[in-house]
Amino acid sequence: MSDVIRTEGLTKLYGRRRGLAGLDLEVRPGEIYGFLGPNGAGKTTTIRILLDLIRPTSGRASVFGVDPREGGPALRRRIGYLAGDFVVDGGQSSADLLAHLGHLRGGVPKARIQELADRLDLDPRARIRSLSKGNRQKVGLVQAFMHEPELLILDEPTAGLDPLLQQTFLQLIAEAKAAGQTVFMSSHVLSEVQQTADRVGIIRDGVMVTVEAVQTLRRRAVRHVEIHFDEPVAPDAFVGLAGVTDVHVDGVVLRCRLAGRADPLVKMAARYAVDSIIVAEPDLEELFLTYYHEEGAADAA
Amino acid sequence: MLRSVFGKTLWDERRGIVIWSIGIAAVGVMYAAFYPTLNSPEMIQFMEAYPKEIMDAMGITDLTSPEGYLGGTTYGILGPVLTLIFAASLGTRAIAGEEEAGRLDVLLAHPVTRWRVVVERAAALLVALVLAGVVLLLGMTAMAGVAEFSSIGFANLAAASGQLVLLGLFFGSLALAIGAVTGSRGLALGVVAIIGVLTYFGNNLGPSVDWLAWSRDVSPFHYYSGGEPLRNGFQALDSLVLVAASLVLVAIAVLGFSRRDIAI
Repeated sequence: MSDVIRTEGLTKLYGRRRGLAGLDLEVRPGEIYGFLGPNGAGKTTTIRILLDLIRPTSGRASVFGVDPREGGPALRRRIGYLAGDFVVDGGQSSADLLAHLGHLRGGVPKARIQELADRLDLDPRARIRSLSKGNRQKVGLVQAFMHEPELLILDEPTAGLDPLLQQTFLQLIAEAKAAGQTVFMSSHVLSEVQQTADRVGIIRDGVMVTVEAVQTLRRRAVRHVEIHFDEPVAPDAFVGLAGVTDVHVDGVVLRCRLAGRADPLVKMAARYAVDSIIVAEPDLEELFLTYYHEEGAADAA
Repeated sequence: MLRSVFGKTLWDERRGIVIWSIGIAAVGVMYAAFYPTLNSPEMIQFMEAYPKEIMDAMGITDLTSPEGYLGGTTYGILGPVLTLIFAASLGTRAIAGEEEAGRLDVLLAHPVTRWRVVVERAAALLVALVLAGVVLLLGMTAMAGVAEFSSIGFANLAAASGQLVLLGLFFGSLALAIGAVTGSRGLALGVVAIIGVLTYFGNNLGPSVDWLAWSRDVSPFHYYSGGEPLRNGFQALDSLVLVAASLVLVAIAVLGFSRRDIAI
């Protein structure tokens, strides 16, 4: 089966500023694709091209094999979209807004809207103006999911959601996958896509840096590790271990960076009496850097 | 009301439509109510003391007849100015205002074409203006006996109110078009204000200033009141010019809006 989303050399210039610089992207049917990158990398630009809100300067994009520009309403009917900044007229209730948007999609059963609202703990009668940012995000999620589209395009979907609702969101994504829907979601937080995505594409400065299965990415991610021992340790034992870099020992505390498997570090640490281990969430910037270093090395060779 | 972009637009604008309709009618009726007071020998003498050029510039020809009085007040300046502001605010909000507020993304990501959004919002603009025109007409009709201008007759009041609606449609479409092509609300409002003022005085001054003789022909105000609908009834040809010009503007709005990027 052909790709649900495909872009080739997608470029978007905003005056002199480059929004996208030749992006290649492939999203396969039924997969959950995490589109990961720092703010300003071109995630929203890509997404808005896919929805024909903006037009590329050069390169090609297709969704379900159709150029978004040509696809028109028929194509957008198959897509559910949550904007990164979901803004609607604040004077209306979410119920009115969702009913209206449902009509534009050719009608969505009221029960379906109510079911989603209940699951997200959203009061549809409240005026949107009176809602918190998190609650507005829920309205955005309902309108994206309500018509059970074949493709969900979600731009930073969990922004503003509390942890409990993030769990509900993860369930919704899992159900979408089970129902055969394709999900394309952007984020600037690795842990967010790590929990849901099958594959992750990393974008930076308008180009795709790499596309990896999420397990691979997790292995590569550099974590800051801090180990507290009962007694002072010598750094020499840890320097040179596979995946371990930047070893600093300060009395009983060892700090280092760990990429890939934790096994060599853990085995070495186990020779001493360990009081505690702290492993920090991998930092996205550092993850990018590992890819850049590699690319740089490849270029040099 | 929530089924289409057209219905939703009217529903969202309902408060403004009601307030403006009542406001325009109230101001129009209030001025009409002064007619018996102003139509006195002393007042006529007083008005005649004003230089003719100033009265011309204000579009006032004679204040003694009811047609002349209403044509210089309710239908001469206040009605058109208020209708123009109402129409321009609706026209700018339709695309540029929504876009600047960041609300267009959600709508346009749905299965609607851009031309449909423009056309349905233009239709909502027309309906809003028609409602305001009907309220004004009802107010003026109710006032006709008391304010001693029943000689004008319902048909001619309806003609003047109807052509006022079309004048509003023209400026509303102009605002819609500039907003749809550029995405800038401020630019749309500014250009409409400038063109409104220039064409207003162009229409009034054209006949008395040699080098401005052409200005009347290009002024929408000429096609609104030049045929004196209060005196002569509905001016089909003038109205057609306003409708055709509005259609051209909406077409420009569709073309410009369909081609460009939507700002975040």
